[in-house]
Amino acid sequence: MRLPRQAWLLAKNDLRQELRDLELVATASFFTLVVLVMFGLSFASLGRSVQPLAIPGMLWLAVAFVGALTLTRIFDRERESDTLRALLIAPVERLAIYLAKAAVTLVVLVGCCFVLVPGLVFMFPAASVFAERPWDTAALVVLGCTAYASVGTVFAAGLATSSGKNVLLSVILYPLTSPALMWALVATRALLDGHPAFSTYLAQLAALDVLLVFLGGWLFESVLVGSGRRGASPRRARARSRKGRQ
Amino acid sequence: MKTMLFEPEAKQAQQAQDSGDEYEAVEGLDRAAIECQRSFEAVAAKKTASDYSHIVWAYGVLWSLFAIYGVLLWRRGQRLRNDVQTLRTRIDSARSRPEST
Amino acid sequence: MMARTLPIILLLFAAVVFPLSVSTIFLDVGIERQLGTVQKIFYFHVPLAWIMMLYGMVCGIAAAVQLRRESRMAEAIAIAAGEMVIVAGLGVLITGPIWGHASWGKAWTWDARQITTGLLWLVFVAYVLVRRYGAAGSERLAAALAIFGAVDVPIIYYAVKIWKTTHPSNDVVATLPPEMWAALWPALGALLATATAMVAVRARQELAEMDLDDAWVEAEDIAPAAAVMVKGDA
Repeated sequence: MRLPRQAWLLAKNDLRQELRDLELVATASFFTLVVLVMFGLSFASLGRSVQPLAIPGMLWLAVAFVGALTLTRIFDRERESDTLRALLIAPVERLAIYLAKAAVTLVVLVGCCFVLVPGLVFMFPAASVFAERPWDTAALVVLGCTAYASVGTVFAAGLATSSGKNVLLSVILYPLTSPALMWALVATRALLDGHPAFSTYLAQLAALDVLLVFLGGWLFESVLVGSGRRGASPRRARARSRKGRQ
Repeated sequence: MKTMLFEPEAKQAQQAQDSGDEYEAVEGLDRAAIECQRSFEAVAAKKTASDYSHIVWAYGVLWSLFAIYGVLLWRRGQRLRNDVQTLRTRIDSARSRPEST
Repeated sequence: MMARTLPIILLLFAAVVFPLSVSTIFLDVGIERQLGTVQKIFYFHVPLAWIMMLYGMVCGIAAAVQLRRESRMAEAIAIAAGEMVIVAGLGVLITGPIWGHASWGKAWTWDARQITTGLLWLVFVAYVLVRRYGAAGSERLAAALAIFGAVDVPIIYYAVKIWKTTHPSNDVVATLPPEMWAALWPALGALLATATAMVAVRARQELAEMDLDDAWVEAEDIAPAAAVMVKGDA
């Protein structure tokens, strides 16, 4: 059972690094706070009955923004110290790398939700349902963030080459994570309205998570194979630079 | 009588029958009914005109999309041809030049 | 040889069928009772949607083959199909609201199919952007994106269906009554032939470009004195 152990070691290592200098934790939390304030300013005038329409969107949009930021930062670190290549050369299972990175992203996202959800409860009375049903809210948050992290990790890793461009990550992430976010939106709305179908939505979200993790794990390997070698495709790279010179 | 206003075929049949009389009713019976029918016709005409303009726009958009893409493909082909030409000249000049290295 | 003539044949076919289809649409078929004249937009709107989905699948499958077998042909087809998804998708996304606006005065109706199409379109735009502006090794990433996009089709569709349970429904009537199918096929034929011709041309161009890149690199290796001064890496 090398896979879980490797994934656990890698994840633990990453988390330890994060906790040591707290950079990601601090910036992500502060960013969450900022987004929260922006949402509060934008939607303060919503009436009590209308708020349940907007709150799911606020929650999951904030998760999406923080997620993009987190993924960029997680792989930036690898890119700067070129450790991704080292990891790929080492006899580590690719899937373990994927699971570790996705897990770290998940932890950061859930951590931000610790700021986000109480903040929403504080600002919008209709969100008090989150406080009344904390376990349901927790399950919803974890499942939704898992869906997001499982998709995002694949593409953030793929873009983490030495000359990767961050702007492309946003272009990719939002359309691809939209179904996961939509499911989470619907489930959140059901939670806020006290809809009986909430548990069904949660179950569906869990199934979606499983599907996405499998898909992500399967694709992760093929996406990264190229970056393992020095200068993935030397011919293409040279040809590209020639085109740039013309 | 009012129902006949909306059945042109029946109306024409009626008029054909009445053509023997001195006085032929040209259209409907009273001003209100005529105005009613006119307003319906105006609405229908407006809808048709609007429909046609939408159709024209839709088809126009479709064809310009394909045309633009076609032009882009054409330009890409031109670029490739020029590239091949440049490569050819370069190789030729390298061949004709005496070996330096 | 086949590759060169195929687009020409297809385009000729399209050129012949297109007037036929226009005549069928406008002259033979009556004005639809409920929706009026403007429903005729559908005869091109629906085939375009089919073409978009078709080339979305083609792109995903070609990308999978590209990753599995390192096949250049598959890669070229994937790129060409991806671009066609964008063109056809634009057509669908523009003609749909035009039709909606004519029929109900509302261009964007939050219809499930509309949203699904929009999201898929975004995914394939991302694909093309990554291929164009991605770093040197990002071809595989783009392929993964295309595969994800193709697999996402049912996922997005179900997600939108679920999402719609929280939004008032305003379903677009998009099922054609049976007697109008006859006008649909010529339009489909013309559009499909045009689209396939363009995809074939684009794929061939991409293959040519890849070969050209290789030729340039070899030329620099073989005749360095002839090449322009190399910047940076040797």
